Amino acid sequence: MISGTQASVKVSDLRREFKTKEAPVVALDGVSLSVSRGEIFGVLGPNGAGKTTIIRILSTLLLPTGGSASVMGFDVEHEPEKVRHVINMASGADKAGYDFISAKRNLWFFSQLYGIQPQIAEKRIGDLSERLGLTKYLDRKFYALSTGYRQRATIARAFINDPRVVFLDEPTIGLDVMTARSIRDFLKDEVRQHDRTIMLATHNMAEVEAICDRVAIIDKGKIIAEGSPKELKRTLGVPALVMEVTPPEKSFDLLAQVEGVKGFTSASDEERGLSTIQVVVEDDGTARRAEEAMAQSGHKVIASWRKETTLEEVFVAMVGRGFKEREEQDGD
Amino acid sequence: MISFRSLFASAWMGIQHDLAWTYPPVSLALQVVAPFASAMTVSMIYWFGSSNSGPGVLFNPTQLAYVLVGSTLYAHVAAYAWVPTVAIAEGKNLSVFQHIYLTARSTALYVAGRALSSFAISVTTSIAALAAAYYVLGSFLSTTVPLTVTPVTALMLGIALVADIPAALGLGYLLGAYSLYASKFEWSLPGYVAGLLMVFSGALFPPSILPYPVSVGATYLPFTQFIAAARVAIVPGVSGNYLYSLSLCVLGGAIFLVVGLAVYFAAEKKARKDGVIDRRMA
Amino acid sequence: METRPWLRTMKARALVRLWSIFGERLWIVVNMGFPILSSLALSLLYYSIGATGYIGFAILGGVMVAFWGNVLWSMASQFNWDKQEGLFEIYLTSPASLSAILIGMSFGGIIGTAPSAAMVIGIGWVLFHPVVAASWGAVLLTFLLTLVSLYAMGMTLSSLYLTYGREAESMNNVLQEPVSMVSGLYFPAIGGASPFPFAIQAVASLIPLTIGMDALRKSLFRGMDVGSIWPSLVTLAVMAVIFLVISNFALKALENRGRRDGTIAVRIR
Repeated sequence: MISGTQASVKVSDLRREFKTKEAPVVALDGVSLSVSRGEIFGVLGPNGAGKTTIIRILSTLLLPTGGSASVMGFDVEHEPEKVRHVINMASGADKAGYDFISAKRNLWFFSQLYGIQPQIAEKRIGDLSERLGLTKYLDRKFYALSTGYRQRATIARAFINDPRVVFLDEPTIGLDVMTARSIRDFLKDEVRQHDRTIMLATHNMAEVEAICDRVAIIDKGKIIAEGSPKELKRTLGVPALVMEVTPPEKSFDLLAQVEGVKGFTSASDEERGLSTIQVVVEDDGTARRAEEAMAQSGHKVIASWRKETTLEEVFVAMVGRGFKEREEQDGD
Repeated sequence: MISFRSLFASAWMGIQHDLAWTYPPVSLALQVVAPFASAMTVSMIYWFGSSNSGPGVLFNPTQLAYVLVGSTLYAHVAAYAWVPTVAIAEGKNLSVFQHIYLTARSTALYVAGRALSSFAISVTTSIAALAAAYYVLGSFLSTTVPLTVTPVTALMLGIALVADIPAALGLGYLLGAYSLYASKFEWSLPGYVAGLLMVFSGALFPPSILPYPVSVGATYLPFTQFIAAARVAIVPGVSGNYLYSLSLCVLGGAIFLVVGLAVYFAAEKKARKDGVIDRRMA
Repeated sequence: METRPWLRTMKARALVRLWSIFGERLWIVVNMGFPILSSLALSLLYYSIGATGYIGFAILGGVMVAFWGNVLWSMASQFNWDKQEGLFEIYLTSPASLSAILIGMSFGGIIGTAPSAAMVIGIGWVLFHPVVAASWGAVLLTFLLTLVSLYAMGMTLSSLYLTYGREAESMNNVLQEPVSMVSGLYFPAIGGASPFPFAIQAVASLIPLTIGMDALRKSLFRGMDVGSIWPSLVTLAVMAVIFLVISNFALKALENRGRRDGTIAVRIR
């Protein structure tokens, strides 16, 4: 249990509704969580689950409809100015900067929004750029930077004011593997060396597993699981069952009828003429019954094996469907 | 090979783009405001200058009509000649332009379709602006602006408007060629186009007052001849030959279109070679 | 309000604007086009009808149209474009004052527009030698007050535009020409020589540009000094204060409403 004095971020029964022409949309439905100082906390879920909404409320861009939230002890609704002094945020979808000035001047400009003295700003820009591999490109105009370097500059901007809490929304989306890895390493260093708190909204499970100390899995505006990645995976007990079956199908609802199946997700490969199904099972007996059910339904199980549980399987176990199926459901 | 389906689809897209940002009739009505104000400004300048300059300068309603028609029509040409630039620049920024390029049809058809839809909107708004300015000027200045609008003169004006399309398209392609290749400042071109037309197309004053040889070049521009033909059609007492002006407009327009297309295709080829077709605008 | 961070923010935003403009030389050329050409065309119009005594009006109008264009396109709409690029969110989640950012933009915009204005004057002078009978102290004071009140109006427009997303561009297109017309950029819009009926003159007088243009013409072409045009100067100063106050309140109110409705940083493309 994290005490209130240690918590950098505290959210209590947070609700957010959006009015639309049809019925109101409930983006957050009673979310409660606490993030301690010096922690990297992930918020994981499919598109539309409410991850970005949480980040927007905590960064003071959005007011909650109900509940409360505080950052470093300051209430986000009633004390936004105080919150803004101790936070920063960056979104992977934006590579926000002024195109016609250099990356360095962009960073300097943003430092001035926090009232940082020019000499201190200069030093921070140099230090952050070196650690993010941006030094060689500092004098290039922003529009001339590649996507990867724009994103590095965006991350540098997120730390320019020495924030206590940083909110990141899909920070490595669209980046190549090496760049993504170097950004993650940077984030881990920042937390370790400066005792910062990072809250990371993402649907990239590999990222969560790589850097997050704890993660909250969110679905339809509610937190359905919370804990360290290891703890969450351990809750499922046994490794998941993976089957390759033919002929391929769009969905395998019959598996939901098998006793002990907690959930499943599937993908079809029409070219190879098969579907790959990942089934989260209670025990070995369930795995056997699942294979038998496939055979009885006229499918041939070409191959099957057990694999290490992933966070998506935790989600599948909670909700009964994978991220892909959940997003398709919401799209209907 | 020209695909009319592609052309019409692009024109349809242009209508959606220009009108759909709000309730379309409202959008159309709002688009009358700028040409109306521009025509009124120039007309007021004429009225003020001629009424307050002493005995040597007299206010002449025919000259007011001359200025009113010219200012409305140069704005009309400027309004749709710059659409190719905007279509390309916006398309690049929204990452749709490269997909249009990759289809079987050239981007030139897409650009033409967008320009033609803008022509249709601009004709509507310009005529509405001209009509509104006619009544408001008459009321403010307590004078009748001499314009002759009959089925015949309206048809003559309509023919002149259509005859000017090749010239405006050609100009549009020239501007579009810049937009294809460049990655910044394409949004400044409309201001230059409007300004150059104000000075050189005989919109506000006879091009003969410009210094030689600029006056010769300005006189034979297709835009100048288009405005001259339109004036002969609807402003009684204005000197000029409708068929002569129309012929020069068509001939000049054909030249503009051929040159514009040639430059545009060359720019498209070079942009592909240099890999800038999908380069985002700064 | 902490003064030093506020000033730092203002200075930084002004510098960003200046670096952008003067760092890309082409931008200066780009901004000059319409003011120079429109001023030239309207000067030639006055010339063609024999009203050479008023060519100076067209040149002065060209100077001010450069600033008016800057107010609309680089001030009023700026936050909308910042929204589209994700920059506005950064402003909102920082402790920086939005007013400081807008005022910084104004300073940068005024200095950045100065080359265009200078070119209009230079070209107009060389080609037409307009006759002036100026009270230069009054001219300078009027010019400065006109700019201050005009840019303050731009700040108010900016806060209003925040709620309208993509429509900002269309609003600019709707506002630019009508305001140029009723404010009398190129001819007197108020007073005895105005072609407008009283009702329109009254409405036009609510626009700083109208009062400013009238006072500028009086001080530049009729040699009227500060003592003669002081009502206009006071009006401009009062307008500046009113617009600044309105913009400050409007920004806060719109920010709160946007946070409540969830539209404050919605990207419109």
